Amino acid sequence: MATVKFVADYEVEPCIGCKLCDIVCPSGAIRMEARKPIIDDALCIGCGRCVDRCPEDIMWMKEREVPLAVTVLPEEVDQAAVAALLEKAGIEASVSICVCTLTPGSEIAGAIVKGAKNLEEVCAMTGMRSGCGIYCVAPALRLLEAAGCDMTPPGQHRWYPSTLSLYDLSDEVCAKYPDAFIAEDRALFDPDQKYGPLHKENV
Amino acid sequence: MNALTALKPPAFMHSDYGPALQPHVAETLDDMVSVPLTDFFPDFAPAITSGDPALLEADLERVRAETRASLASVDMSGISADDSVNILASEHGFGLMGGWPYAEMIKTIREVVMERTGCRKIHLRLAIYRGFREADEVAEHFGFNEVFEGRVKGLGPFDQGVEVDTAVGPMYLIKRAFDSAKFIHAYYDDPREMYFNRLLYKSFKSFCMSYARYETRSVYHSMFGNRSGSVIPRALFDSEFIQQRYTFSSVLRTTPMGVIGVDATTDLYAIDRRITKGHLETYGRMQRLFAEIKDCVAIWDGGRWGYYLHGGGLIFGTLLTNHSDAFDLDQPVVAGFMQSPTAPVNFSRNKSLRGVVVNQAWVGAGIPYVTMPFTSPMYIVGEEQAKMWREDPTNPLLMDRAKVVDSLEQGITMACEKGQTDKLIVFDGSYGHLTCSQSMADLLKERAPAVDKLVAEELLPKWLAQRGLS
Ligand code: SF4
Ligand code: SF4
Repeated sequence: MATVKFVADYEVEPCIGCKLCDIVCPSGAIRMEARKPIIDDALCIGCGRCVDRCPEDIMWMKEREVPLAVTVLPEEVDQAAVAALLEKAGIEASVSICVCTLTPGSEIAGAIVKGAKNLEEVCAMTGMRSGCGIYCVAPALRLLEAAGCDMTPPGQHRWYPSTLSLYDLSDEVCAKYPDAFIAEDRALFDPDQKYGPLHKENV
Repeated sequence: MNALTALKPPAFMHSDYGPALQPHVAETLDDMVSVPLTDFFPDFAPAITSGDPALLEADLERVRAETRASLASVDMSGISADDSVNILASEHGFGLMGGWPYAEMIKTIREVVMERTGCRKIHLRLAIYRGFREADEVAEHFGFNEVFEGRVKGLGPFDQGVEVDTAVGPMYLIKRAFDSAKFIHAYYDDPREMYFNRLLYKSFKSFCMSYARYETRSVYHSMFGNRSGSVIPRALFDSEFIQQRYTFSSVLRTTPMGVIGVDATTDLYAIDRRITKGHLETYGRMQRLFAEIKDCVAIWDGGRWGYYLHGGGLIFGTLLTNHSDAFDLDQPVVAGFMQSPTAPVNFSRNKSLRGVVVNQAWVGAGIPYVTMPFTSPMYIVGEEQAKMWREDPTNPLLMDRAKVVDSLEQGITMACEKGQTDKLIVFDGSYGHLTCSQSMADLLKERAPAVDKLVAEELLPKWLAQRGLS
């Protein structure tokens, strides 16, 4: 669960309508209307990226009157479906996918089972990616791909469909990089040999 | 500051991402000492600079000379007078010894390439970590805009990507890094997060981090173990996309003593072997010496993210995680994001770290601090810094636990009392020496000979053999 204490705001008049705040928003909280951003407070996960990006320096984070609890609770979703999705993607339920909010794999998978169809929706439902924005991206995308979601990247380089995992590497690649401990790491992270490549045609 | 040869830590750069600059711990506390690393390991060779501000001008001359000497034998036939060339630089280099040695190497590369090839269109591309304003700050602080005649741009994981075919599948690099026909890999060799990179092809890491989009960085860190992840940067470097554009590498070489020279050649694999061997010998000793610390309070006292601040040439992250030997490749899990279901690892497991006092550091690096206050109490000096931490989205839980204190002295007193220790270790950017309490200095000096022997006789031969470098 992420507790979002801040929300973005901006000064309308000097805004030049450059859209940069919209492009960097990880949770789809900003949309442009008449060349001005409209910020949906309910979707803002308080990452501060828009504030940092705004070239006019007219955005700021303000403290929410009541912190927003962003989470998908286990009881809200079918746990068998969550487990099946995690297994298909080769991701452990307990691993912190977002290392800033400590959101576990089970919650990200839960958001997808609950209906999230893209990365932005996963972020808005879990608070994932409100921090560094980096490490959680590929596992979340892989879970979306495993769930059969559309992986066509959105415009303006919001994200690219990278979902490669240790379990995808071919024998040829393993032979090309024999000193990369691939077999050893597979045995370590998947001792029961549950996981395998994510075949796109099977999605 | 007394006794054991006080050396001044490097000066910092002011940043929007950090608090107003404070005096160094070494300047404010009388009972701290500054121990030359040769007191621990007498064989450590002297460096050409350790970032001492008083010697900077002369030291930078030596960095220039080293860069020129190393570049003299580099084959630059891949660059013609009509080419446009990007020098690719990575953010962390500007955190080493105040950043000036790395900046000097970069400026010298430009000069030499111009002289040797006649090429005039040489651009600097500054790869940064997270903040959109970091590159502008770096460019201004180090005078790059003037030197490069305005041909300077920043790039970050958020910038437009370019899909690159690699042996492991498509990966995404940052388009702007490769918007010239050719590029030069201008790197530094700080081992940084050795518990992630395990000194397995570390010299290639920029290809999947600094020069790469969010998604590729995430694949490297989160979808592989910290040993098998080494395929990602290599697959990128070996790709046709990179090989068509790559000219040569120039790497600022360091030991915990400071900068020892520059290694430049077209063969990055050869550089990597030399670096790995040197690092295991020197950083390996310091890392194992830090492992002898069984109780301590750390002080963050620098102008970068606390996790990446140096003390005795090692980043704080090393102390946080060196309850296991990162260099021993037989140890499967040291720290990493992909977790074993049977042997999960928590970043903050080092129980010897009894507290952290933040005198000054940037906020915003995320990852390690999130859970740190749960196991190591944190004390933030002053309300100005506390406000920055409260608003830091990358550490949303930190201020739920961290305490705000009025002064450095108060923070130290509280941390030492709670942690039941009098041993202080300071991460103030130092190379060549370690700022610490007398009790810490005594402990490390007493333990160093045994560590030296252990590394020389047991660990180093094993580490080298594991990497085919015996
Ligand atoms: S989620 Fe981040 S980028 Fe989006 S509106 Fe909120 S603070 Fe701005
Ligand atoms: S980034 Fe700033 S100037 Fe640009 S649209 Fe958003 S608020 Fe307006």
